[in-house]
Parts: sequence; C-alpha cells; structure tokens
Amino acid sequence: MSILIDKSTRVVVQGITGNQGRYDTRLALDYGVNIVAGVTPGRGGEKVEGVPVFDTVAAAVAKTDANAAVLYVPVNGVCDAVTEAAEAGIGVILATTENVPRHDAVRAVAAAREAGAWLVGFNTNGVISPGKCKIGGIGGDDPDALYPAGRIGVVSRSGGMSAEIAMALKASGHGVSTAVSMGGDRTTGRSMCEYLELFDADEQTDAMVIYGEPGTGNEAEVAAALRSGRLRKPVVAIVAGRFQENHPRGVSFGHVAAMIGDEADSASAKIELLKESGAEIASSLDEIGPALDRRFG
Amino acid sequence: MKLTEDIAKSLMRRLKLPVPEGAPAETAARVGELASEFGGTVALKALLPTGRRGKSGLVRLVGAADAEDAASEMLGRQTDLGYVDRIYVEKGAEIAQEFYLAFSFSDRVPMITISTAGGVEIEQVHATTPERIVTTPIDPLKGLRPWEAIDLWSRAGLKGRSLADVGRLTARLWRAFVELDAEMMEINPLAVDADGRLSMVGTMIEIDDGALGRHPELSEVPSQRPDNPRERMVNDVNRANPGGDARYVELDGDIGLLVAGGGAGLLQHDMIVDLGGRPANHSDISPAPGTVKTEAVLDAVFTNPRSRSLLIGYNHLQMAPVDRVVEALANSVQRNKVDTSRFPIILRLLGPREAEARALAAQIGGVTYLPSGASLLDGARAIVEATRKVSAQQDEGATA
Repeated sequence: MSILIDKSTRVVVQGITGNQGRYDTRLALDYGVNIVAGVTPGRGGEKVEGVPVFDTVAAAVAKTDANAAVLYVPVNGVCDAVTEAAEAGIGVILATTENVPRHDAVRAVAAAREAGAWLVGFNTNGVISPGKCKIGGIGGDDPDALYPAGRIGVVSRSGGMSAEIAMALKASGHGVSTAVSMGGDRTTGRSMCEYLELFDADEQTDAMVIYGEPGTGNEAEVAAALRSGRLRKPVVAIVAGRFQENHPRGVSFGHVAAMIGDEADSASAKIELLKESGAEIASSLDEIGPALDRRFG
Repeated sequence: MKLTEDIAKSLMRRLKLPVPEGAPAETAARVGELASEFGGTVALKALLPTGRRGKSGLVRLVGAADAEDAASEMLGRQTDLGYVDRIYVEKGAEIAQEFYLAFSFSDRVPMITISTAGGVEIEQVHATTPERIVTTPIDPLKGLRPWEAIDLWSRAGLKGRSLADVGRLTARLWRAFVELDAEMMEINPLAVDADGRLSMVGTMIEIDDGALGRHPELSEVPSQRPDNPRERMVNDVNRANPGGDARYVELDGDIGLLVAGGGAGLLQHDMIVDLGGRPANHSDISPAPGTVKTEAVLDAVFTNPRSRSLLIGYNHLQMAPVDRVVEALANSVQRNKVDTSRFPIILRLLGPREAEARALAAQIGGVTYLPSGASLLDGARAIVEATRKVSAQQDEGATA
C-alpha cells in the first residue's frame, strides 16, 4: 500500500507538449511510472517521449484507462483543466501551477469534489510512493536518492520541504511510504487532515510527518482530529514562520498563503495547538528522527 | 491589491450599481468646488486603501460651505494609516436603515457575511450581538442567486419591501465580486433611504493579485510602491520581468538572506532567530531558471547598509539547476564590488548541477560552500557564527 498512487496508477499528462510537461514526463518514465497518455488540444495523434497525445482527457481515458492526471497548464487554464479531468473520471488530479486566482481555485476544488476526484495542489511539485510511482517533478532526476522507501507518511505545504523532510528521515534511518506536497497556495484541493486520514488507514504507514506554515486552518484541523481520536497514528509536526510574529501583520514572507491575518493562524499558535493535541513538535529537521523514535521507543 | 474608495466606486458605477455621487480631489479648493456642486451635507473621506478610517478622524461629515476648511485640516496629515494626499468627496446620503454585506474566502470556499446592523464595524457587532450576523459558504459552481440571497437576508431579520431589493442587489454584487476577481468586497453601510432607495455608501474592494494580469482595466491603478529604495528596486524588477515574483522585505538585523522555496526560507529564518541571529531581510524567490530576479535580491542585500553577511539557503532543489544561483551571485558580487573577506557569504545549495555550482563559487573566492550532506540548520549555524565574528571584528575596528 501507500496512498493515492501505486504500481497500478496510469497517468495522463495534461500539457505534455510544453517544456515542463515534456521534461517531467521523461524523468517520470525513467523512474518507471506508467505514463499512458498526454493531452494537448490540437496535437492529438502525436507522440512525446513515446507517449501518445490526445486532444481531450476524455479521449485519453477512453483509449488508455488513465486514472491519474498531472497538469502543466498556464494559470488561466487551470480551472478548466481540473474540471475536464474530473469530469472524464480521473481519480487523482495534480495541479502544479502556483498562485491560481482564488475564484478559479475554489471552482476547480468544487468541481473535483463533485466528481469524486482527489485534487492535489495548487502549487505542488508532486506525490511520490517510493519504488512504486510518482506524479509531478518530485524527486527531480534522482528520486531514489531523495526518497527512500519506508513506513513514514509525509504531508507538506511546501515541495522543497517535503524533500528536506525525506532527507532528514533517511539520515535517521527511516523511509517514506508516500510523500505529498499538498500545495502551498492558500486554497488547496484537499486539507492536510484529509491526507492524514488516508495515511491513518494505510497499513504500510506507521506514523506521519507534517510541515505547516502560518495562515489557513489546515493545522488546526489536524489538531482537532488528533484530539477527537479520529487520527490514531503518531504525528510529528514542524511548523515554520514563528519569526513573522515579530513583524507587522499582513506582510507576506513566503508562500502567498503564509501571511498572518489572524493570531490563531500564526506558527506559534499552531505549534501550541498541535502540541496540546498530542503531536510531537520538531523545531528543526534534525529533531524529526528522534521525535519518531520517542513514539516508537 | 486594495483599491482606494474612488477606484472601487468607479468600478461599481461602471457595473450600474447604486453608488452615491462622488469624486476624488487633491486640493482643499477642489474639495470646496465639489462640495458646493453636490450641496447639502457632504462626506469627506481620506483616500487610503484601508478600513477603520472613521476612528482615526479620516472621515468627516460637513456642510458644503465648511468643506474646504475641513479638507485643509485633513490634507497633508501623516496618520498611522498613511499619508493623506487625496480626499474623496461624496454627496451625503439620507439614511433610514444601514446594513452590512461582505464577500470573502475561507480556505476552500467563498463566504458571504451579512447583517442588518450596518454602519458600525462588523467586529463590534460580532462582539456584542453575534446573532445579528449571518455567514454562510457559497457554492462557487452555482453562485449566489437572487432567491438565495433573499432567503439569507430574511434569516438575518430583514422584512418587507427592502428584502427583495437588498436580496437582488446582493446577487448582483456577487457577480461583481466574481467578475472583478475580488478577494474581498465589503459594503458597509449599505444604506436605505426613507423612500426605500439603496445606496452603497461604504465600499471596500481588494483585488486578487494573482488575477491582476487578466484585468487590463486595473493596470492604470497606481499600485503602492514600497518606501524602502531596495524593496522598490526588487518590486520594479518584478514588474519588468515575467514569471513568479521575487520577494524582498527589509528588517532591522544584520544577516542578509537569499532563502528560497517558501517553506525552507521560513524555517531557516526561524532557526537563525532561535540561534540569536538577526536577519536584515527576508526573501523568497522561485528557483526556476533566469537570474535577473535573483540578482535583484542579491543587489538589494549587498547595498543594504545594515547587512554584514549573506546566507544563500535554498531547499534541496529537485528540478532547477543550482549553478544558476551561483552565476547570479558572481555577477552581483562583481557589480557591487563586494569584499568577501569582510562580508561572509555562506552557501547551502544542493541539487542538480551542484558540481558546476561549486566550481563557479570557487572562482568567486572567499565564499563558504557547505558540503553535500549539510542541513538547513547547518546553514543557519554557519551564518550566525560568521556574522558574529565579522561584527566583533568590525566593532573592535571602530573603537580602536
């Protein structure tokens, strides 16, 4: 097991003929990912890296039984691309684009939910189940070096931090069941807690590591699920951005979402809430390994 | 981008929504002219893109004859909300009832908030009579239809003739909220006069920065440029070059930061502060190819009189080549004639084309490139230590 993607995942790449789409497709094929189709309207019938290109997602699904989609589309096309994939019956949709306009983002999220699809992103570099499958650029040109297989689930608001967490896990003798860069935009397809619920039910995951930031209700929702017992496996949390509390509100220092508008959204408030709810807090990456060992002592 | 009231109201007027007559003015004399044109009572509002102006004495109701004098008192004032250089002059509305209406977003859905207790700050209503506020999510695929808006206002306690008018206006405002790509829209008060006519007396709009590219009608709106010359320079480089923005915000410490990957940047900054270091700035930048914006941030760090050192700390890059960052560093070091023996530079840069990056860094000279296994914490420790040393030396030099 693993969550969201595994050996049986069949991937369609929307925007496969663009530079990023083509490049990531090459690397994914090298990793052994089953990329069965690409979509670029007007380019149906061509091939990219040996992968057949279709004009629509529905045509690609009809021909190849694709069940996951990766989107490399410009920001103003994201909402349509997500909706198209969801209505074509795709189960997992990864939207890599960042800073998606709010109105488009919420429409895409609603369309995906209505179709029963799981939307990852916006502003994600991907999901990887080491040794089985990956969608998106996650892992770069050497996913095996960055993401060793193991039994820890990772959910990160930042793609870069998911790699840093995996490196810290590796250094402390752990590995990854699935690592998810859930998206750094304020609006994401699913909440951090929804990913943790998947990991909680996954037999091959023993514990989870989350990376959070100021802004959004994601971490508070995780804390509530821990308190209520809805999440039973150990959670190690690292929440960055405490320094922002020394500066005026409304100044954005990182991701668009990582802006404190409200004290409850600050890094310190989230850390406090997670700690009270039974999560292990790591204040640096080097503390993740020991925190996991404490829980499995 | 928060719009000032004159811009917000002209957009609303263009959509044929009921906005009181009004216009902006830059001099007291012009305020006087407009006031006598409108006659009766006029509202003078300082044009600052913010709420809470009433509390700070930046909104005044005066007779037309007194408008010019009142305006001279307001213009040229430096207040905690900003410098007052323009005033919005508005024909006084005759108000029988005042309502509150706002559209905003929670993490994943648009929200509407309404109340029949308008005219005061909504936080105050929330603190004293929360039952008078109705707030609910809106399905973005369906939008807010007139009958749904009428139902909401009815739940908020509105009855009679105004109910239908206010409900229909609310549905039209929802469409405006979507069309303008607004992130927030607040009408307070939404006023009703004795004859039942509606008027959007207070109107605040914030446009989603991520959507500005598809609103050419807003490209003329003067955006607020930062006061700090280096922040302004980075801002201008962003405007002139496509792609993701570089962020650069100055703080009052002495450690210059080029940190990237939003998340890793936040974490490194926290760790530096925990170790007793004080950053001179925060930054964030997309690691995608192209060095113009990277060089802009580096130039800002090197020309900031407060910075005494530089940490370039990216998360382990997975797609973008790291040697492009070092290329930018080499250019900026040369351009700014940085003496690396007095200005420590620490690099924690791992990922594709790292060998090339290391070779290039060696050519710059005096740069500390942390080894491949180095963690973000190692980078934070190294820069805090190096800065402490150089500060001690320089302070000694200054007293000697």
